[in-house]
Amino acid sequence: MTFLQPWVLVTLPLVALPLIIHLINQRRFQTVPWAAMQFLLAAKALARGYSRLRHWLIMLLRMLAVAAVILAVGRPLSRGWLALAGGGRPDSAIVVLDRSPSMQAGAAAAGGESKLDTGRRQLAESLATLRAGRVLVVGDAARGPEEVPAAEALPELPTCGPTAAAADVPGMLQAAYDFIRENAAGTTEVWICSDQRANDWRPDDGGWGGIRDAFAKLPQPVRFQLVSYAEPPRGNVAVRVGGVRLETLGRDRRLVVTISVSRQEDGQRLSLPLKVEIGGVTSTIDVELAGREAVLKNHVIPLTRSAQSKGFGRVSIPADANPADNEFYFVYDDPAARRALVVAEDPAATRVLELIAGIAPDKGAAGVDVIPPGGLASAPWDAAAALLWQAPLPEGRDAQLVQAFIDRGGQVVFFPPDRPTAAVFAGGSWGEWTVHAKAVAPETWRTDQDLLANTLSGGALPVGDLEIRRSCGLAGDIVPLASLPGGGPLMARSSRADSVTFCATTPAARDSSLAAEGVVLYAVVQRAIDRGLAVLAGARQVDAGPAAVALAAGAGWTRLAGSAVAASTEVGLHAGVFSVGERLLAVNRPAAEDTAAVVGDERIDGLFRGLGFARITGRAGDADSMVQEIWRAFLIAMLLALIGEGLLSLPRRLARERMARDFPPVEAAA
Amino acid sequence: MFTDRQPRSFLDPVALARLAAVPLVARRPMVGSVSGRHASPHRGSSVEFAEYRKYVPGDDLRRLDWRAFGRSDRHYVKEYEADTNLRLCLVLDTSGSMNFGSGEVSKIEYARRISAALGYLASQQGDAVGITCVADGIVRTLPPRRSPAHLRLVFDVLEEARPSGPTRLPEVLHELAETIRQRAVVAIVSDLFCDPAALAAGFSHLRFRRHDVAAFHLLDPQEMAFQFQRPTRFLDLEGGGAIFADPVDITDRYHRALQAYLDQLRAIVLESAVDYHRVLTDEPYEQVLARFLVGRAAGRGLR
Repeated sequence: MTFLQPWVLVTLPLVALPLIIHLINQRRFQTVPWAAMQFLLAAKALARGYSRLRHWLIMLLRMLAVAAVILAVGRPLSRGWLALAGGGRPDSAIVVLDRSPSMQAGAAAAGGESKLDTGRRQLAESLATLRAGRVLVVGDAARGPEEVPAAEALPELPTCGPTAAAADVPGMLQAAYDFIRENAAGTTEVWICSDQRANDWRPDDGGWGGIRDAFAKLPQPVRFQLVSYAEPPRGNVAVRVGGVRLETLGRDRRLVVTISVSRQEDGQRLSLPLKVEIGGVTSTIDVELAGREAVLKNHVIPLTRSAQSKGFGRVSIPADANPADNEFYFVYDDPAARRALVVAEDPAATRVLELIAGIAPDKGAAGVDVIPPGGLASAPWDAAAALLWQAPLPEGRDAQLVQAFIDRGGQVVFFPPDRPTAAVFAGGSWGEWTVHAKAVAPETWRTDQDLLANTLSGGALPVGDLEIRRSCGLAGDIVPLASLPGGGPLMARSSRADSVTFCATTPAARDSSLAAEGVVLYAVVQRAIDRGLAVLAGARQVDAGPAAVALAAGAGWTRLAGSAVAASTEVGLHAGVFSVGERLLAVNRPAAEDTAAVVGDERIDGLFRGLGFARITGRAGDADSMVQEIWRAFLIAMLLALIGEGLLSLPRRLARERMARDFPPVEAAA
Repeated sequence: MFTDRQPRSFLDPVALARLAAVPLVARRPMVGSVSGRHASPHRGSSVEFAEYRKYVPGDDLRRLDWRAFGRSDRHYVKEYEADTNLRLCLVLDTSGSMNFGSGEVSKIEYARRISAALGYLASQQGDAVGITCVADGIVRTLPPRRSPAHLRLVFDVLEEARPSGPTRLPEVLHELAETIRQRAVVAIVSDLFCDPAALAAGFSHLRFRRHDVAAFHLLDPQEMAFQFQRPTRFLDLEGGGAIFADPVDITDRYHRALQAYLDQLRAIVLESAVDYHRVLTDEPYEQVLARFLVGRAAGRGLR
């Protein structure tokens, strides 16, 4: 329970007043000579359980009455069911707002209110009641806390609106921590409004431990209140588009798309009219959804001959429980030429890499430029999608060129040089070569994602068939993708840049069978090129989030479709189609938003272990405020206690009246 | 009347003069030694006709009713009721509990006034007055005598009575029932703080011996009301231990115990035909005695 006037609680020891008065009364006894001792002895013998109990009950009720008065004067606040926390009016209240698409659930119902709107309204009411000194809101981890002029304005703030991006709850808490530390805010309450989705909370993120420790070490008290709207929406269907490619057959062009419709629970068979809108032309496709997911694979949409080679479209389904996942934007363009750069010092490796990069998976042309290590400055960087590097890690000017390539979206695969140097790039560095007396095969590798992932049909790459005769040590800030026996990495991704991959051996025959068993190397190289192409192409799909915001920050984005964006800083967080120069960008919610994985309460309790944490369970559309003044309840309690005390004291008076009736004065008796 | 000059504190001449207007009578026939104002079970020489009886040789011829002989030719003797004096035995409780008094008058002082007034009234109408002081037994006793000089001794006893010790009233009542030779009025002035069952036996014994028992039950107003505001240590006036009690806890139960005792006592006095008077010591004793005398005068003449 929280109190608006907590200093009044200092007087709580007054609760003992009735007891103290009783004890003082006991001490100041009088001594009288008495004749009628036989009645006193009889009365003492009659002092049994109920009388004694009644006496203590009266005492207890008096103490309760005093306590109720004190608590009522302290102006107590109720904070929902069982969400009790100590303390009074906070100096600062920081609202961490989960604005992810899943928080939009509930808005579609008639007169409905989304979880986000409910949360903002309830938070505004609660913070207004609490009269926090300062109210700040964190809607985006990158922007950090922004001061709100008045708590009541919270629902109206443009930067608190819904987004298409996943919420970075640990990042936002880190931003709140930075603010508290730098501004030396006093007593602070952090109100987290979220639906506990795993992709927003990322409970496995290594940063949680650091955040927890950092908050625990703060000198000022910080309390956390999670306003949870974890209940998943019923009957929600999400639509998503992938694999958009433009095909040209003679003079005709057509768009090949893969549309998936999914829901989180099994239910009745649904027939959904999918509306596909391309260049102002709308067509409808009926999709049958029987299980949890229905996929229209390689659905062909013919384009009019007058249609341009570059364009965008939108797929939508009828309104349901969550409107945020009912539409998906896509863009298309003529595929860009596959072009890769090979920088290698070993001729054997150079030959293999050139071959593998030069064979395109489709009938399109694939270009490979072999660059000597000293000729990087003149390399055709702009046309390349991937860089295959078998040489000492770049340093100085070379490193800047490669970094610029990476920043532009290019993919890099590093192979170890013959004589490794101490250079470090993207957090990784080469160690010493190890010659294996007997060729070893990789023990484990990641099949779920990245360059060694299984094929679309689910088949695994034959990574285990590789024979590694010589491997180079790899250290630094890396995430292993494949490991050799003994734990040494064979392939790893830089944890600082997703687009940088290290392979701990070369395709040369003396080092490995990567060339002979070419499937694995081919898949790795071609996937890297594909990734680079996706970035370099004239049309690109990006997930709403910090990456999109970073992209938008450096270039002028023009909105072509999608909802209006309130603030320029919010571009990249909202779904829509944008043009950046000559390129088209479709920004959509991340795929993880369509999965309803909810982080359990125990898990979240664990994340805040050692910190003052309370949870309030809300529901979209709740009309009640979470925080209410409840001093009336205490006054009623006091009243009841006094009435109870009076009732318990009453029989004694009745007994005296009965005595007076039964034993009237002597004249009357006569 | 008194030869000494020292006035008795417990005698109020004005009140006695007023009370003297109503005679003290016994509720049942008395057996006295001399002629008096009270009915006797025997035939005597009063003016009140009792019955005719056949003449037998030896009867005094002066008592022969000649008119009856004239009418019936038979000899009858006319008999008259006898009037005699009574013996008033005052039983004064001088146990420690009588020393209690929340107001101006303690119970012993009140008892002195009642006893002295009764003694004086009896003596004035020629009755014999005796006194027995009771505590842990008979403390002091004076047998009933008719002389005014004896009354002075009674007053001396009253004056010298000092309350102390426990009460053994029931045992003393038995003793008195055995030792008072003839019918008497036994006036008990006490707070009756003893076992009601034992008291009932004492009363019955006195009644069996044809005594006219009157009881003045003295109670202090505080003993009835039991109004204490603070926790109190009660010291037993009769020498028992002390009891510590919080009035808040004990008042109602005290009243219950008192009520039970009074109920029991009421039943006992009804069964034993005791002329019972409950007296609160804040009441003027003159009123109490007036009520006592008038109540008895209404039943006068029973034989």
